[in-house]
Amino acid sequence: MIRFILRRIAASLLLLYLVLTTTFFLLHLAPGSPAGLLVEDSRIPTEQREQLRRIYGLDRPLPVQYARWLAAVARGNLGTSFSYQRPVTAVVLDALPATLLLAAAALVVEQAVGLIFGIAAARRPGSATDHLIRIVSLLLYSQPSFWLGLMAILLFSLVWPVLPAGQMRSTGFEDLGPAARLLDLLRHLALPALVLGLAQAGAVVRFVRGSLLEILGQEYIRAARAKGISERRVVWIHALRNALPPLIQVLALSASLVLSGTLVTEVVFAWPGLGRLTFEAILSRDYPLVLATTGFAAVVVLLANLAADVLHALSDPRVRDA
Amino acid sequence: MRFRPARPFHAALLVLAILSVLAGCNGGGEEKGNPTPAPAAATGEPQRGGTVVIGWSAGPTGINEVISHSTLVTTEVIRNTFPQLLEEMPDFEEHPPTFGPLLARSYEWSPDRKALTVHLRENAVWSDGVPITADDVRFTWQAQKHPDVAWTESYMKEHITDVEVVSPKTARFHFSHIYAKQLQDANEGGILPKHAWEKIPFSKWRENADWFVENLVVSGPFTVASWEPQQEVVLVRNPRFWDKSRPYLDKVVVRNIPDAASLITQLLSGAVDFAPQVQPADIERLQADDQVRVIPFWHRLYVFVCWNLRDPMFADAEVRRALTLGIDRQTIVDTLFPQGMARVAVSPIVQSVWAFDRSLGPLPYNPQESRRILESKGWRDTDGDGVLDKGGKPFSFVLLSNAGNQQRNDAVVMIQQQLKQVGIRVEPRIVEFNSLVTDAQDGRFEAMVFGLGMDTSLDVSANFGSNSEREGNFGAYKNPELDRLMAEAMAKPEIRQAKPLLDRIQQTIHRDQPITFLWESQRLSAVNRRVRDVRPNVLFSLYNLEDWWVDAAR
Repeated sequence: MIRFILRRIAASLLLLYLVLTTTFFLLHLAPGSPAGLLVEDSRIPTEQREQLRRIYGLDRPLPVQYARWLAAVARGNLGTSFSYQRPVTAVVLDALPATLLLAAAALVVEQAVGLIFGIAAARRPGSATDHLIRIVSLLLYSQPSFWLGLMAILLFSLVWPVLPAGQMRSTGFEDLGPAARLLDLLRHLALPALVLGLAQAGAVVRFVRGSLLEILGQEYIRAARAKGISERRVVWIHALRNALPPLIQVLALSASLVLSGTLVTEVVFAWPGLGRLTFEAILSRDYPLVLATTGFAAVVVLLANLAADVLHALSDPRVRDA
Repeated sequence: MRFRPARPFHAALLVLAILSVLAGCNGGGEEKGNPTPAPAAATGEPQRGGTVVIGWSAGPTGINEVISHSTLVTTEVIRNTFPQLLEEMPDFEEHPPTFGPLLARSYEWSPDRKALTVHLRENAVWSDGVPITADDVRFTWQAQKHPDVAWTESYMKEHITDVEVVSPKTARFHFSHIYAKQLQDANEGGILPKHAWEKIPFSKWRENADWFVENLVVSGPFTVASWEPQQEVVLVRNPRFWDKSRPYLDKVVVRNIPDAASLITQLLSGAVDFAPQVQPADIERLQADDQVRVIPFWHRLYVFVCWNLRDPMFADAEVRRALTLGIDRQTIVDTLFPQGMARVAVSPIVQSVWAFDRSLGPLPYNPQESRRILESKGWRDTDGDGVLDKGGKPFSFVLLSNAGNQQRNDAVVMIQQQLKQVGIRVEPRIVEFNSLVTDAQDGRFEAMVFGLGMDTSLDVSANFGSNSEREGNFGAYKNPELDRLMAEAMAKPEIRQAKPLLDRIQQTIHRDQPITFLWESQRLSAVNRRVRDVRPNVLFSLYNLEDWWVDAAR
């Protein structure tokens, strides 16, 4: 088992290196240059712009820039953000809690909705409920999250103004008591978490339904029913328990999908997290910041996949021995 | 106790119930700002206290002006924490702008006009109680010019050879020669606290933006109480500000609201008090709300079509004139801007500035004349495909514009239709702004719609100078006579004396049409009527923030 884990870690590190290297070159090959250095002011002389390029090492050949960046990363130095003139690590750490909170809340929504509606559909296959759930889940899954976000704002902030359209907290947040702060945070979290969670929940619903239907048709379920065990107990205890291992893998994969979904959701809802930071960094060609946020996302995805692999191997010896 | 699984529709009801509870806990709707209302006041009489929430599409990038990425909101926050020596007044419509006292109470020129002496306010102190002195003025100049600091505006200090400390409250700027922008150049940039910020060598400034926030010492009417990246910056009154009667407000919250629709929603709901820039498309909605006041003012930005003169197609001034005649700019303006919020541009010196040559007017829309000129230059439709051609080459080009600017994108489509009537094929192409700027600087385009601003120095050389192809003269227009006129105008000791030269500069550009001027527009700010004495202008949206006050009676 240890050898299996070490093999997976080595493969993950190689993949991380490849992701970062590809991102580095794609970023530099993309048209445009760092807006923070371009300074869209025609009065600024070329020499001044060149001086800034020198300071940030952008005047060097690309392979040299790559080697210097790689060496710095190996020392744990992710560089300085062009836009903020702050260490990239500090900028990322500032934005990280907001993204983790949003992603966690979205995962809860995704899994809860996916389980409840997936089971409901599987219990009455072919019924009107099943058809309705399948259609709605397909609709949710096929909608881009930015559209869902805009519709949610339209519905819950304009037509029926019950929730804030964006931000993470209200003005005067610091003057509130602990309970009021928590409530304020939940109000702001509600729409982005629902949008991000529901967009992915469609897939979970369909996965849970498919998995359960397969299990509900097996002999031991028939035997349980024949013994007179209630249908609720058959589904929730006997069938669901056996459907859970593949669901854990889905959860791990969902983590990466949710994380990538934060990019659009955070922009739409002005959520101050890594997604919005990445979006703005890409637009302003803040190379060190884009590389850091991409690297972070890659690490999360790789860790989630590693965890899924390990869990899968623990539950199935054929996998770890392969 | 038995576990009872939730039915799907019960779960849906539960979600709705939770939403209702969350909404109900705050009275519903958008969050309401202003948790500390101002004391009751008689309307019309400024009163102390209260909080104002400002919604801005971007957040400030830093507090140290010389290393921060220069964005509008960054400039506004810094200006209210680190004032300049003098204040440029928004009185440039009738005459060159005057300068009022700010950190300096007065200034005077030496007889040869190569030295400027400024006298600092006697009672001006930093927020930690240390007096503001001429040493701070000299330290600021040193930081501004230092190559490792690499301040983007350092070119404005190019001709300042020294800043002399005459006495603790008197500093003297020495210039290499006399020119029109001396006062603007000396005044550019807020004064920095030497005693607090000299602890970090200039070479380390660009890596340590956080340090300046953590070791903040200010001199302006406000100081920073908190700074949440991507969320908000909270400014509170600086109790050591030299004017004890100002500011009136206790707190100013600058919220980062990137989505324009969300900003309007929050403005209408009262969650935001002031939006420095709203779109013309929103004006009717805002005017319909009796709580909101829209404040229009003329911008100093002009939007134009830049022709790439490196391309032989656009090299002839007569052909460029024909292109301008073939574009119905008045219709574009009337279509894109409601309520007369824009006018056809004529010159790089916009019409709201004193130096605009009022003898100039826009070239008329005249497609017949346009076609006649093009025919005289050899452009004819020889193959009957509806497109003019010359030497087998059709008159066809790609017109670039940047994504995210709907007005310019719409204008590109209108220009395509209008020039089609003349026999010119235009292919609109929308690209990301950053790519557009890079293409423009590298000269990799045929034509593009772009916008440039003009400050009150009226130096147009960066946009039309022969050596400014990477700065603002993207189309590579070269005119030695114009270069000479621009240099001569800027060499005058007073810009007022350069008016005849500025007229000739504008007439030359008007004649040569290196660009086709499209429009100059108004900028719109919007404010909740409970906030009084708000006077944004083209210089600064938060121009007189220290004078703003909250009318608790509303």
